[in-house]
Amino acid sequence: MRAGKAAAALLVVVTLISAGRLEAATGRGGWGEPVSRVKNIIPLIFLGSPDVAPQAVPTAEPQGPSVDPAHLNQPAALERSLRTALRRPLDATRLTVVGGTARLGAYSVGSAETVHGHVVVLEGDVDVHGHVDGNIVALDGDIIVHPGASVTGDVLAIGGHVREAGGNISGSVQSLEAVPLPSTAAAISIPTVIARRAAGFLGVFLTLVTLGFGLVTFGRPNLEIVSDTVMQSFGRSFLVGLLGEVLILPTFGMLIVGLVLTVAGALLVPFGIVVYALLAIVAILGGVLAVAHAMGETITRRRMAQGFKASPNSYRYLLTGLVALSVAWLAWVVFGWVPVAGGLILSAAAILTWFIGTVGFGAALLSRGGIREHFAGRLIPAEMLTDEYLWATPQFGVPAVKRPPKEPGA
Amino acid sequence: MTLRGAFLLVTCVGFAGPVLHPADAQTMRAFSANRPVRGERLLIASLDFGSGRVVIQPGQPGELYRAALRYDAERAAPIQNFDPRTNSLHLGLESVGSGGVRVTSRTQLEQTARFEFSPDIPLSLTANLGAADATIDLGGTTLTELTINSGATRSSLAFSRPTRGECRHATFTVGASELDARQLANAGCGVIEVQGGVGRAALGFEGEWRRDVAVVVDMAMGGVTLRVPRGTGLQITAARFLSTLDAQGLTRNGNVWSTPGFATAKRKITVELQASMAGVNVEWLGSKE
Repeated sequence: MRAGKAAAALLVVVTLISAGRLEAATGRGGWGEPVSRVKNIIPLIFLGSPDVAPQAVPTAEPQGPSVDPAHLNQPAALERSLRTALRRPLDATRLTVVGGTARLGAYSVGSAETVHGHVVVLEGDVDVHGHVDGNIVALDGDIIVHPGASVTGDVLAIGGHVREAGGNISGSVQSLEAVPLPSTAAAISIPTVIARRAAGFLGVFLTLVTLGFGLVTFGRPNLEIVSDTVMQSFGRSFLVGLLGEVLILPTFGMLIVGLVLTVAGALLVPFGIVVYALLAIVAILGGVLAVAHAMGETITRRRMAQGFKASPNSYRYLLTGLVALSVAWLAWVVFGWVPVAGGLILSAAAILTWFIGTVGFGAALLSRGGIREHFAGRLIPAEMLTDEYLWATPQFGVPAVKRPPKEPGA
Repeated sequence: MTLRGAFLLVTCVGFAGPVLHPADAQTMRAFSANRPVRGERLLIASLDFGSGRVVIQPGQPGELYRAALRYDAERAAPIQNFDPRTNSLHLGLESVGSGGVRVTSRTQLEQTARFEFSPDIPLSLTANLGAADATIDLGGTTLTELTINSGATRSSLAFSRPTRGECRHATFTVGASELDARQLANAGCGVIEVQGGVGRAALGFEGEWRRDVAVVVDMAMGGVTLRVPRGTGLQITAARFLSTLDAQGLTRNGNVWSTPGFATAKRKITVELQASMAGVNVEWLGSKE
């Protein structure tokens, strides 16, 4: 039974993957019309490009597909309309062409022939030997204007080319390349995607580690105070960070307006912009590093309590915390390509990062960039400052070692 | 399902996935458009190209215009609209859908465009280049008017040969971009206007001199360099706010800086300068006599 469930789950996953493959093959995003896409692609896979029997396309019902080829100024939009109108089997296609006719399959205008009105040809080439008094549109086919032929309008080949083989085209000539189907060479393999993401992830991680180590080296007291603020006032930090994110732009606006309104301050506007941006970046980045420090400290102390031997220092805390924070992004690096699940992992990682950034930003604001210890739990309340500890029996440290051993009979 | 089963399932997917599922490839498409000359006496062209690399140059005499684009179909769609009644052309890319953030290499995403215009037909050209890197050479065209709007880009504009016809006005709007305009004398434009945000603009007046030029520069937090052939009379009327003006070889009279003998110079450039927090620099081209 377990094996059956596993097989069923595997089938679901493979189906999802295949759906993703089809999505990539069509080159469009979204999950719309998956069934029709499968219908469109399967004949191409097994039969190659089908030869379409030349035929006229019946006019669609009043609410049915309709195109107006009088203006070919938006070829991509026209292509969408035509592809939407196509049905499988092809002879089920219905299309209304305003001021013209629609054809399926190869279409030729004889040298003695004159066609009045626009011509839309689906799934076939257009050979013009005679005269066309209107515009010509070909979907997935070439338009060839042979010697002696003339077109008194515009021509547009979607998924094909226009060949001016000696004929005369009065209007504009446009070609829109077909959407390229993914080939083995063009498609990016999953290992490549993972490798690229891993490289990016590693780069960001190393940057954060470098910045963090620099912060520990040059500003450890501040980092520790922000870190302690995170640990002691976590919820408060989050709320303050949230408020800070909301107010960051209005505050910036007020600052600039205030500077501009004062004559002397107007000179400081460029300086103010740079300083404000730098302060915001430092607060957010420093806050994230402080959260990493706090996480690392907690993890390290728990492990040490379980007997793990390590030297507790800020470098270790920071590295451990950053590794812990990176787990979500690491999951995205490895499994980000999986349809649906990849998106969910990415969303989770992004939300987690935002949450951590908000907490860190709030802690940085609360502690004024690691200057104010009020929320860091470092200040001992006055009522705790008694001299009772002087009378306590030393349990460890130098005084405990120096304490004379108890008499066996005492 | 047990933990072991889940582990096996994930492992299967991990190994099967790369084989079954190629990642989404980028959807780059090519678009081309051209139109023969059919007795038009003027072409009013408006180009839109938001990002990538763009080249604008003269084309074949028999073709009114020609465009070849390669674009990201998920972000943009081509547009080509010529109105024969007004001889106006709208050509380029328009954005579609949501831009979003795409994490991939820049080379993959790079859109390219090449626009060519008939050298025989008088051309009034407006190019909205957004964040595209532009290389423009309009030497040899029959230019009547030129407007280049660039946002955050690096544009190189040159007139390698003298233009035909009479260019009335050229306007360059640079947002946070760099514009390097060379051989402007070949353009023969009577008025050249530069409106800048925080960008830099260099205007070089080399080339075949046909008429005196009036230059209007309005810059904020940017830099303007005027490269003037030696022997040309130059007069700068400057309204500055926290701006520097490095005008070697010019004598000052109030807000006006002039070359000696400006009134009698054969070739004259008059510059009206409004600059706030901008640097204005004058460079003299050619050796001293």
